[in-house]
Amino acid sequence: MTLRIPCPNCGPRPHTEFMFGGQERPHTANDAGADFARVFLPDNDPGSARERWFHALGCRTWFELTRDASTNRIG
Amino acid sequence: MTPGSLRFEGREIPIEVGDTVASALFRAGVRTFSRSLKSRRRRGLYCGTGECPNCMVTVDDVPGVRSCVTPAGPGMRVERGRGWPSAEHDLLHVTDLMHPLMPVGFYMKTFVRPRFAWPVAERVIRRATGSGRLPEDREPTRGTSRHLHVDTIVVGAGASGLSAALEAASAGERVLLCDAFPIGSQVPPGPARDAIRALEARVRAEPAIGILDRHAAVGVYDGPTVALASGDELVQAHPRRIVLATGATEMHEAFPGNDLPGVWLGRAASRMAGLHGVQPGRRVVVVASTDEGLEHLRTLVAAGVNVTTAVVPAAFVDEVPSTAEAIADGELVSARGRGRVRSVIVRERGQERRLGCEALVLSTGLAPRDELARMAPDEPVEVVGDAASAGTVPRVTGGYLCLCEDVSGRDAEQAWAEGFRSAEILKRYTTSTMGPCRGAMCGRALTAFASARSSEADRESASRTTARPPSRPVALETLARSVHEVIEKRTSLHETHLGAGARLGWSGGWKRPFAYGDPREEYAAVRERAGLMDVGTLGTFLIAGRDAPALVDRVFPGRVADLGPGRSRYVLALDEAGYVADDGVLCALEDGSYLLTSTSGGAERMDARLREWTHRLGLHVHLLDRTSELGAILVAGPSARELLEPLADDPLDPASLPYAAHREVAVAGVPCTAIRTGFVGELGFELHHPRSRGPALWSALMDAGEPVDVRPFGLDALEILRLEKGHLYIGQDALPDDTPAKLGLDRAVDMTKDWFVGKAALERLAAIPLGRRLTGLAFDGGPPDGSELRGMPVMVGDDLVGRVTSAASSPALGRSIGLAWVRAIDGQIPAEGLRVGDAVATVAPTPFYDPGGERLRG
Amino acid sequence: MAELSTSRPAVTVVLGSADACDRVSALPGACPISTVEVAIVGDASITALRQAVRLVDPDAIVRDVSDGWVLHTLEGPGARDAFARLSELELPASGFVQGAVARIGVRVLIEGDRVDLLVPSMLATHLRERIQDECRELFA
Repeated sequence: MTLRIPCPNCGPRPHTEFMFGGQERPHTANDAGADFARVFLPDNDPGSARERWFHALGCRTWFELTRDASTNRIG
Repeated sequence: MTPGSLRFEGREIPIEVGDTVASALFRAGVRTFSRSLKSRRRRGLYCGTGECPNCMVTVDDVPGVRSCVTPAGPGMRVERGRGWPSAEHDLLHVTDLMHPLMPVGFYMKTFVRPRFAWPVAERVIRRATGSGRLPEDREPTRGTSRHLHVDTIVVGAGASGLSAALEAASAGERVLLCDAFPIGSQVPPGPARDAIRALEARVRAEPAIGILDRHAAVGVYDGPTVALASGDELVQAHPRRIVLATGATEMHEAFPGNDLPGVWLGRAASRMAGLHGVQPGRRVVVVASTDEGLEHLRTLVAAGVNVTTAVVPAAFVDEVPSTAEAIADGELVSARGRGRVRSVIVRERGQERRLGCEALVLSTGLAPRDELARMAPDEPVEVVGDAASAGTVPRVTGGYLCLCEDVSGRDAEQAWAEGFRSAEILKRYTTSTMGPCRGAMCGRALTAFASARSSEADRESASRTTARPPSRPVALETLARSVHEVIEKRTSLHETHLGAGARLGWSGGWKRPFAYGDPREEYAAVRERAGLMDVGTLGTFLIAGRDAPALVDRVFPGRVADLGPGRSRYVLALDEAGYVADDGVLCALEDGSYLLTSTSGGAERMDARLREWTHRLGLHVHLLDRTSELGAILVAGPSARELLEPLADDPLDPASLPYAAHREVAVAGVPCTAIRTGFVGELGFELHHPRSRGPALWSALMDAGEPVDVRPFGLDALEILRLEKGHLYIGQDALPDDTPAKLGLDRAVDMTKDWFVGKAALERLAAIPLGRRLTGLAFDGGPPDGSELRGMPVMVGDDLVGRVTSAASSPALGRSIGLAWVRAIDGQIPAEGLRVGDAVATVAPTPFYDPGGERLRG
Repeated sequence: MAELSTSRPAVTVVLGSADACDRVSALPGACPISTVEVAIVGDASITALRQAVRLVDPDAIVRDVSDGWVLHTLEGPGARDAFARLSELELPASGFVQGAVARIGVRVLIEGDRVDLLVPSMLATHLRERIQDECRELFA
């Protein structure tokens, strides 16, 4: 089952053109404890999450989107 | 072999015009076409549409061929699958008698203990089942794979599909119409076929409609994308919308005796008689409750078949030809006979009657072919025609529910009793719907079974099971057509290396020279004189723009703010968890921008990483991946400068180009960025140049190096050279969770910086004692070729304390050396008692060779 | 039927702000790679480009990157069919798209029956072999 990712520059493309960058968890620059928790202790809740994607075989730009990992619905 | 015949298990079978393999065999008297999976029961022709498993035979060494829809060709070699010694007389039929000992799921419970029994049992079971053997020496056939973009795809070219295609085309759409078979080929001559031919003529005249017949739609995917498979090609269609006109199969019901040879579905029987002129049997009983069923009845009678009895709903009684006895509203109870149908039990007005016959023909309902729609509920799919009908609910009163997997009604009852109480779970436990028919035959029966036993509140558990691609069996070689070869990168010196007799191999996605002859001679050249290496595979990047200094300061953990123009520094790239992802060299350029190199295999990731942090930190940075644009040649050895100076337009003396510096210099007229490096432990100049000038530069260097007997050297020699310096390869010596400390690379980290990627993780980890460390080892004893130690475990007594990541025989030290990660015991890396295989390992500080680094700093 | 040929055209890259890139995106041979990057395929005056671009973004970069790219051209009535064997991308009648072709990132320029594939030099031989392998019959 291929997943189609909407690149803001190039439009919807098969996920095989992309590199997945993980969930977006905004970092708090000066709180080392919070930063550590952010990287090593994610919540991993089911449902929608903000994610980072990189259009590796296309425009090579990074962007964010919201995806529900249980239904694969984007946006 | 006479033309016009096929070869079947040693016999020649004549073929008539229009024959399928099945009709030719049936005409010649073959009645058992296959043996069922578990019980080895005889199976005869049943569905006639290529959906049930009964008629599967091996044709020309290809197993699993549906003989009922495969045109017979002269010279074909046909064999049946299961059966020992033959399908006709199968001794393993005894397993049918053992059925009580082999309840559903038995193989998951038996043969588990004693443990040694399972591998033996598995081999026996594997040989006993299977629908044919794959020939060992058959080459995969060549075919194509392509993509098609259309507005609408119509799956199924029957009357509904042809009409839908015309409608879409008249709305201005580009249409693709596909069908698993040639248009109209599955319909016997008659008014239905005439109607199809008329529509077909209009479709063929319409330029906006493309036709792909003999292409089966095997799956619907996100996009939407529809995969179509034919024998020769794989087509991935990308429509905006999908129309499914796949029609319906005749319903398969489960009643006692339903799997006996001689039980036919209506389409199969009427085609055998009407198309191929062969009687299904000398006396035939027909049970028909649909309009289509009445058509089949008429076709049979018109073809001269002796239909003795027709069981029909009362409303149809007048339609029954006078030559047959009509039973109104009778109920089919069972089919009887040993090895084939000999009689049928019908209940008429409460009384059971036995009707002797040779064939039972059933047309009792329709099962819409909706699996493609159920596969992709989120895609724009419209279902038309019979495929959109509700279909009929099949009865499950006994017999075989799933023909492919040999699941009887009794098996299903037992599974239900064991607690498997939903269609989905029954499917998994009994394996119903998992066979070649993909649920086309048994899916509705399974659901009906679960439904009848579920309460209203539980309807969910009785809903149809998930449909997954492929909807029809598809050969792996067809799917493999869309898989391309391994991606190979090359430098511009590829041909040069081949010309020099190099042995090339894979490294980091590139084809690279491993050696040109004896690697030890190449090693000696570099240590004693000079060597050349193609390092054009290195990732190279331009980092520019007003925030370039800020980016490099934050992406790399070490101190870079004080890196002045003309200077270069070794850098690590960490991820947010503090783990080392890659390494490289950062060169500060005159105008505030930087040239960065990375490992060959890590280039794409490094580019992604630079872009990621530029984006996340909101920096104004220009990034250019120059990996393809630049080649690079390493000139290394004590005579390297002597070799280069005559060719260089600019001075290369230690004052002009000291260690850890770089400058622009033209060498043999080729503009280069020369970086002083020390990876191999000798005086070294890495010459980055425009890719197209590589061969000329290499040639000039080889010529200039003749007086010192310069040699090209490859990855094998490099391995020994860099190991003697204790230099690590991130791709080989680092584990995924290695931090700089574990690799002994603390010097590349500056914890006084405000922030860098991974800093918080390193701070946290600094409080925990080091669990392991990458350590230099020197070996005594062991294999003559030290590289064999690579990958071997490091032991202290019986305890595994580490693993050797790199090893080689060191000419300079006269023994084998290596790098290994070694676990700390009680906070300390053990210094004694280490063994690797037969060799005694001693912890040795690195570099092993020229520890002061005088040779490379010259 | 289609023909395959290979060439090494001039390729210039412009890295700058969105406004700076806009200034050059309508030039002949201009390929909008992203909002902050434009590639110009074919002869171009670097000086003129630099002037135009730095008016809006003094920090912008204009460089000749010709060595980094190779052009494989498919031409003829079968050119689009050949392309369809290598890539899922839908081609416009004319223009520019970038994406996966034979599983590598390729920049595609289209004009009628001509499909130009701009590929990084290090992958040029690989792509040419893939094209010849997959589209054999179309070149015969």
